[in-house]
Amino acid sequence: MTRKTSFDGIESAPRWILLFLGAYLLLHLLALYLWNATGQAFSVHGTSDGTATLSVTAMAAVDLWLCLLVLRSFPAGAPLRSAWTLIALAASAQAASGLLAQFLGVNWLLNPLAWAGQARSGLIEPFRRAALVGGGPVRLALLAAALLAALRVLRKFGFWVRPSAADWAVSGIVCLFTLCRFGEAGAASLAGRQLGFEDWMSLAGLPILCVLFLEAMLLRQSVLHMGSGLISRCWAALMCGVFLTGAGELALWVVPHYSHGWPLQLVNSLTGFPAAAVFALAPACLLAAQRRTIKPASDQAEDLATGVPALAR
Amino acid sequence: MHPRRATLISFFDAEAGAERSRRVARHLAKCEKCRNQLRGIERERHELSACAAAPAIDNRQGLAGVRSAMATWQQGRNGAAASELKGRLRWQIETYFGSPALSVVERPGMRPEELLGKAGEILDVFLGPDAAEAVRDDVFRGLEWAGPTEETCR
Repeated sequence: MTRKTSFDGIESAPRWILLFLGAYLLLHLLALYLWNATGQAFSVHGTSDGTATLSVTAMAAVDLWLCLLVLRSFPAGAPLRSAWTLIALAASAQAASGLLAQFLGVNWLLNPLAWAGQARSGLIEPFRRAALVGGGPVRLALLAAALLAALRVLRKFGFWVRPSAADWAVSGIVCLFTLCRFGEAGAASLAGRQLGFEDWMSLAGLPILCVLFLEAMLLRQSVLHMGSGLISRCWAALMCGVFLTGAGELALWVVPHYSHGWPLQLVNSLTGFPAAAVFALAPACLLAAQRRTIKPASDQAEDLATGVPALAR
Repeated sequence: MHPRRATLISFFDAEAGAERSRRVARHLAKCEKCRNQLRGIERERHELSACAAAPAIDNRQGLAGVRSAMATWQQGRNGAAASELKGRLRWQIETYFGSPALSVVERPGMRPEELLGKAGEILDVFLGPDAAEAVRDDVFRGLEWAGPTEETCR
């Protein structure tokens, strides 16, 4: 059974996401190369703090839309309904956080809070903080709860394998990284250096990230036990999203320790967008699988009009 | 897409409704396979009518003989369809989950109806009920499977 590559309809969402991701990475790597080749003659800017960039926010909005479409196909009481509800909530937390941070949490021309003078501009900082909480620990906690619900269902249906030594090792690395970050923050506090709200939010998300990583390892084993089918790809995408989120956090911590010249904002957007895109791939893959059942490849477009054969007459 | 056997039977009995009859008729006009299937249905109807006219079986031994003959006929007919059904279910599981998932879903010596139930259940859970229903329709498309032999011959 052969299938033509098509970019039409919702079933082509995974292809579009991968296409955007490829273009985004190419552009960013090109910018990084030019920046390096010109002897870092120009400055590379991303967002000013730990909040999501506009591209990440847009991808989170796409993720939310796809999650809502998936959620519609699981009626109340379906075993995976709670997992998909939590995944949709996590996507909405990221999208809302991005919107708050990009539109209401910065002092710019189109922010209505900045128009009304001092009284309202005082609200900008709380909005920015709310965005950091929503896009950080809250989103990670929702994802952790979603993965737990999904793992329960996978276990119930026999797709459960005990984690291997490599899984424990990778989870151990993330736990070690968390301990290092907490140690560093403690040392900074003892030295009398003030930690910013972004740092506190980043630290608050790390223990949840450890749990998420362990769940992602279990999910990896379950996906390996399943195979490489259309449904397995959806869960594999979620697992990769967690890995990329962790890798981003690790890169943002490691890079300044080794090279002070690297633009951290660019590193942030280089890890943030792929993670958001891969998270959006999860509902996109499931939607593609669902649409495949409704429009199997063997089906030909049929034009059955009037006309009764002699045999039936 | 070929119409199902049930659709052809209702078409033959003029119970398919005007719109569906037109669609089936249009399809029959260009599909030799479906025309043959419709002829087969016609033939079976004639045979059944002939059997209905035959004298009734008046003893238990005769009835057992008829049941046995029916079971043999049903088994022969269903055997190939059951094998085809299992093959189609395996293919669907491999497509949606992957080859290793087959070892989780299918046990050695599993009957087709058991495999159908198990595959339907996990597709319901992981793909959603509507999509799972569409997969079931796809599995049964053009397949003449009358269900478990024990139940049909009881």
